[in-house]
Amino acid sequence: MKKRYPTKKKVLLVNITRLGDMLQATPTIAGIKQENPDCHITVLVEKQFEAICHVLPNIDAVIGIDLAYTCRSLAEEQSGIVDAYEYVSELVNRLKAEQFDYCLNMSSSAYTAILLKMLGVPQTGGWTADEEGYRVIESEWARLFATSVHHQNRQYNSLNLVDVFRCSADVEQHPQKLLVSVLPEARQYAENLIAEAAFTNTGPLIAVQAGASQGKRQWAPARFAEMIKILVGEYNARIVMTGSSKEQSIVGPIVEACASPNVFSAVGKTSIPQIAALLNLCDVLVTGDTGPMHISVAAGTPVVSMFLASAYGFETGPYSAGNIVLQPVIGCGPCNPNKACSRPDCHDMIPPRLMAYLAAERAKGDISEVSAELADPSKVIVYRSSFDDLGFCDLVPLNKPDGDLYSRHRRAYRKLWLDDLGGFQLSESESSGARRSALQVVDAGLEGLSELSDCATRGRGLMRDLQGLISDSRSPASKLTSINTEIVELDREIEELGYHYSPFGSLTRMFIFAKENLKGSDAAALASQMDGIYRDLGRRCEKFREFYQRS
Amino acid sequence: MKSLATLGEIMRTDWNRRVQHDYRFWVSNDISPTSIMWEEGARDFAVVTQGISAKRTHTALEIGCGVGRMLRAASEVFGKVVGIDVSPLAIDKAKELLGSSTQVQLCASNGYDLSGIADESVDFAWSFASLAHMPARIFASYLLELRRVLTSTGVARLQVFIGTTTGLQEVDTLRLRAFSEGNLQEALQQAGLEITGQVPTELPLAELLDEMGLRPVMLTVARGDNAPRSLETVYAALTPEGEECADVCEKASEFEAWLALNYADRLFNDGDFDRARFTLEYVAQHCKTTGIDIQDTLERISAVTATQDVQAVISSADSASQIYAKNAEVLGQRFPELLKKLDALADSELATVVVKATVDGPVLWRGQTCLDHPEKPKAGGDSWVRRSLNDVRFLRAAHLIVVGFGAGYHIESLLARGTHRVSCVEPSLAALKRALQLRDLRVSLRQLASLEVSTDVHKLECGEGSEVLSRPQVTMLDPTFTTEVTKQFYARRGLNTMKPKIAVLGPLQGGTLPIGQYTTSALTTLGQRVRGIDMSGFNKSYELVDSLIFDSGRRNLARQTYVETLSSMLLESFAEKPIDILICMAQAPISARALQELRRQGVVTVLWFVEDYLRFTYWKEMSKYYDFVFTIQKGDCIDAIRAAGAGCVHYLPTACDPRFHVPMNLTAEDREKWGSPISFVGAGYHNRQQAFASLAHYPLKIWGSEWPGCKPFDRLVQEDSRRVAPEEYIKIFNATDININLHSSSERDGVDPTGDFLNPRTFELASCEAFQLVDERALLAEAFVAGEEIVTFNSVADLKEKIDYYTERPEERKRIAQKGRERVLRDHTYEKRMEEMLSVIYSQAYQKLKTRQQSSPWGEMIRRAEVDPELRDRCQRAFERGEEPVLDGLVADITTGKGTLSETEQKLLFLFHVRKQIIRMEHEGAGVKNS
Repeated sequence: MKKRYPTKKKVLLVNITRLGDMLQATPTIAGIKQENPDCHITVLVEKQFEAICHVLPNIDAVIGIDLAYTCRSLAEEQSGIVDAYEYVSELVNRLKAEQFDYCLNMSSSAYTAILLKMLGVPQTGGWTADEEGYRVIESEWARLFATSVHHQNRQYNSLNLVDVFRCSADVEQHPQKLLVSVLPEARQYAENLIAEAAFTNTGPLIAVQAGASQGKRQWAPARFAEMIKILVGEYNARIVMTGSSKEQSIVGPIVEACASPNVFSAVGKTSIPQIAALLNLCDVLVTGDTGPMHISVAAGTPVVSMFLASAYGFETGPYSAGNIVLQPVIGCGPCNPNKACSRPDCHDMIPPRLMAYLAAERAKGDISEVSAELADPSKVIVYRSSFDDLGFCDLVPLNKPDGDLYSRHRRAYRKLWLDDLGGFQLSESESSGARRSALQVVDAGLEGLSELSDCATRGRGLMRDLQGLISDSRSPASKLTSINTEIVELDREIEELGYHYSPFGSLTRMFIFAKENLKGSDAAALASQMDGIYRDLGRRCEKFREFYQRS
Repeated sequence: MKSLATLGEIMRTDWNRRVQHDYRFWVSNDISPTSIMWEEGARDFAVVTQGISAKRTHTALEIGCGVGRMLRAASEVFGKVVGIDVSPLAIDKAKELLGSSTQVQLCASNGYDLSGIADESVDFAWSFASLAHMPARIFASYLLELRRVLTSTGVARLQVFIGTTTGLQEVDTLRLRAFSEGNLQEALQQAGLEITGQVPTELPLAELLDEMGLRPVMLTVARGDNAPRSLETVYAALTPEGEECADVCEKASEFEAWLALNYADRLFNDGDFDRARFTLEYVAQHCKTTGIDIQDTLERISAVTATQDVQAVISSADSASQIYAKNAEVLGQRFPELLKKLDALADSELATVVVKATVDGPVLWRGQTCLDHPEKPKAGGDSWVRRSLNDVRFLRAAHLIVVGFGAGYHIESLLARGTHRVSCVEPSLAALKRALQLRDLRVSLRQLASLEVSTDVHKLECGEGSEVLSRPQVTMLDPTFTTEVTKQFYARRGLNTMKPKIAVLGPLQGGTLPIGQYTTSALTTLGQRVRGIDMSGFNKSYELVDSLIFDSGRRNLARQTYVETLSSMLLESFAEKPIDILICMAQAPISARALQELRRQGVVTVLWFVEDYLRFTYWKEMSKYYDFVFTIQKGDCIDAIRAAGAGCVHYLPTACDPRFHVPMNLTAEDREKWGSPISFVGAGYHNRQQAFASLAHYPLKIWGSEWPGCKPFDRLVQEDSRRVAPEEYIKIFNATDININLHSSSERDGVDPTGDFLNPRTFELASCEAFQLVDERALLAEAFVAGEEIVTFNSVADLKEKIDYYTERPEERKRIAQKGRERVLRDHTYEKRMEEMLSVIYSQAYQKLKTRQQSSPWGEMIRRAEVDPELRDRCQRAFERGEEPVLDGLVADITTGKGTLSETEQKLLFLFHVRKQIIRMEHEGAGVKNS
């Protein structure tokens, strides 16, 4: 694997605002430790997530940033702004004093980029800012991260963000799962909780996480109730409802509707270590794309998870082998996370009975096939999570879908990035496939790729001309102006091709990010860097074509 | 033990007596004039209300308000202010000083309770320099009353003394009482109150108080959870040992005598013999003391005043000239201009100043007033300096401007301390020359920062560290001089240091519209925090009223309603982005209600009435809502507007904007379109129609609206008599050989012989270096030199003659136009006008604006930002740009990609993006609920 900074001693990981993000960083943290056994890892998190860091292995120190205090102070305005300013000054001084040699920031937020700039850490992965405040993404894997989560490109990505994050930190060896410590006292608490439930059924212990972070990702309580009734009535299941006290309003009606001694609500009764222990005791968790989903995976309990609305299984699916992921097949999904939805039709694509079946089956053991009768592949694709030969997480369809318009592009992109960014030697099975007919001049799905490739070639030609003009001090200024105009026009054309031919948005987005990261002000050096960017684009176009045609 | 009623009666008698003697000394600011009393009242009120959120809906109460020293400041922030005092004479004086104010309610109380004030009706109560003089039982009674009248969220601020005072008698209404912290807390608790804050208070004579073991503090008090106990319980908690019972308090009487005698001594030293004598008589009559020989002092006063006309020969003529020569040598090096003036002064003019000898040296007399201490000038000078520096305002100043040089004793004393830089302003050149003939003042002359004999303080340092200190003799002899110096000082100081937020409110339409824009632009150039409010977009709706309603009464009502609506919007806008000064241009669409509301909020309201006051008379109703009115006319106009109730009225003519009204190199096409040998720009008023009809045979182009379409105007008037925009008429000015500027009149033919003010065109034409013939105006001579910088005409016949004359003389036209431009650039720009306007405003309202600025959110924020010099500078810059004290304002000028960001900028951007991210996350949350 290509690595930018293989050796790390004093590491800062910035992962501030989400619980799930912290858990998803655990394979990377473990990998850094594995590859640099003497390194010291500090994590910077929002204050409320400090506690969870203590049950995540391999972390040496945790620093909390109190965003709530900062925002409260700012809201007071006037002197409150000075309070917030002083708080930031103290934080920056504290972090500077640590003298980190490597920092990985996988949050795309502007404020973490500026924070990293202030720290002046010599080696960085992920997002930072330059002297003038512009965003800088130095690592190509981090640019791929930004490219993949760009709404237009999401469907074409099949790399789990945990892996992309891991590669951004140059981590090759990793445990192929999320990690969390199940503490003995938490386990005892969880066991007591189960005992308190006094179930009458004797079947599988199934946890249900009904709440979700966004309303549009929230499967209706009535559906959950229906699923639970089937599980309790037909599968002899014991149900533990999980969630925070804020989710009581969602879970309460479900428990009420089920009216069964075999439905126990642990909502609001567990801390993060306790929920990890509780899930560890369960046979399976039924959930959406939630924080508890990641906790369950980390605690070693498989999940059956629905990826509704904006959630996308390939991107943030459960990171371990053998989990079940359900992705509705619907034109509008996965939708934009920043937009509300008044008619979440994707929720209708998943019948409660199917969920009950999958949960009961997964509680028994691994699932390798799901019949199309049970799970209509035109409505929902059921996947099983697994790892490929190179240790990258993947989702394998179980209900034989044939209408997935994006799968071929996803395959091609997966190979492209592993080859081009990672430098991985793809195995025969990964790299080769049945070649399509040589007579097929333009393969369906590759429309626009040749134009993009031509642009890359033209770009390199322009760069050659530009470098010639720069090196010749007698060159007239008008020629420079003219060539500059051509470059601007060409770059606009490349960007527009990405929008017009959506399958190639990822290629053009990588091109844009690379341009944003040009360094220095020397004209010749800039022209040379730009030549490299056009070269990368051209090479990636050709590789994509090859991988697509072979897939 | 006397009853509360009896104690109240004793207090009333005592304080009435003192107020009758000299209210300034006993209940106000010593010998200072009323203007200083308001200023210092405002300053102390700001201390009392620090951290208190005053609202217009709140009622405030002062216990022991005296002559209302702090009430004026209170009325500017609270909706209703009640002042009570035991002395009806003090209340009468307060009514006289405060004038008629519907907000302030003054009440002579029984001296021991708040009867007449409803339960839970007071949002904020305070007492300053008052409770400490009251018998402890009355103090206790007021605590219980406060518990009764404060609202549940109400707060009281009480200035009291922590310490121990022994041997106080209950009938003592003068000496300070102090209580232990524990007793105070207990008493407040027993009264059902609780102390929520306590801060030290700075008072004059701090050292003396310290020696006495008295620690002045300001208590913040609110209703507590405890039910109030009986008066006796509260009183016992306050003074467990109780106060002594007696019918008369001799110690109080002695103390009163001591205070009054010191006062008399000061009056005597300051040369105010009448008041000194009156004060001594007061002591003799009311204070039963035998310890001090009053008669002796009275005789000394009589002796001094009886011999003041005796000329004492203190030096020969030769020695006077020698001393002057020595002083002049230094003066020539330090203040050469002043020396020239002094040298030019004839000896005969020195006769107005009389010299007398004392044991300390010679002193100067002007008329009946000695400019120094009449007997011991050196000790008197020292004493005056010491007394003056008892006031922390002067003590803390870095630079003192002393008004009055006298024979220089006090200047020497002040300089000898080495604590201040000292400047001096002396009203009389003769007195100064006399002083320089009498005494070798070279050391002082070398040390003085400035020495002026003028009210013009422009050359003096007038920053935050400076203060003006007036000699009482000068104030008595030449009050106008002292007032003018003080005004000029505050004007200068305001311009140097104040950054109030100024809004300029333009009219809906008409010729004043661009003047509002020029005003805004000039204020911006002067570095002021200005916000121009263009209301012209609302004009279309205003005019549509005419097409809907035809009855004039109904139409006026509809228009008023429309203006009221606009006013409400303006108030909302000002609530969002607060302002300190509102400058309304003539015809600005703002109602009396809105102006009243803004004044209640402490905003200084200003009207620049750039109209003929005889033609437009709405000032009659509106003047009273403005603190300042500036007019383009003098004399009767100013008197009439002042009589209509305006606060201050000043003459301020219009001007030119030298960035806009400029000489232009026009294209041939523009010259063809806009040019002419003779042009006129303006509306078709009666006198203009009458005059220009007879110019029909000239190559004249008339531009502007409201001209008739009949002959001969059908040929003269351009482009269907449309209104010409400012961008267009400066092209006309530039493209015309002779511009006629005939001021309008609806009544007269041709030139109005009574015309006084100058229209803006006069200045604008001159600024464009365009040649103009302007009709004679009464106020023209002080703006231009006729014949050199401008050419006038006094009749239509005269106009024709001058057109003929100047048509033939392009060089002469050019020369006059150039001189005219030089003149307006020097004296008649809008920047000059705004400097003058602000000077006037600051000279009158400096303290008010200063207090407002100090209590503004920016003041606190800039103080806090001292932790980081760059942050502080950034706050200061944002403040000066007129931003609100919010994060967006601080980061408004940080631009990504425009150079390397400093760490301070990065931290602010960090905060900016944190907040943005949190808002985004909250928005996502909200979106979830909707879905």
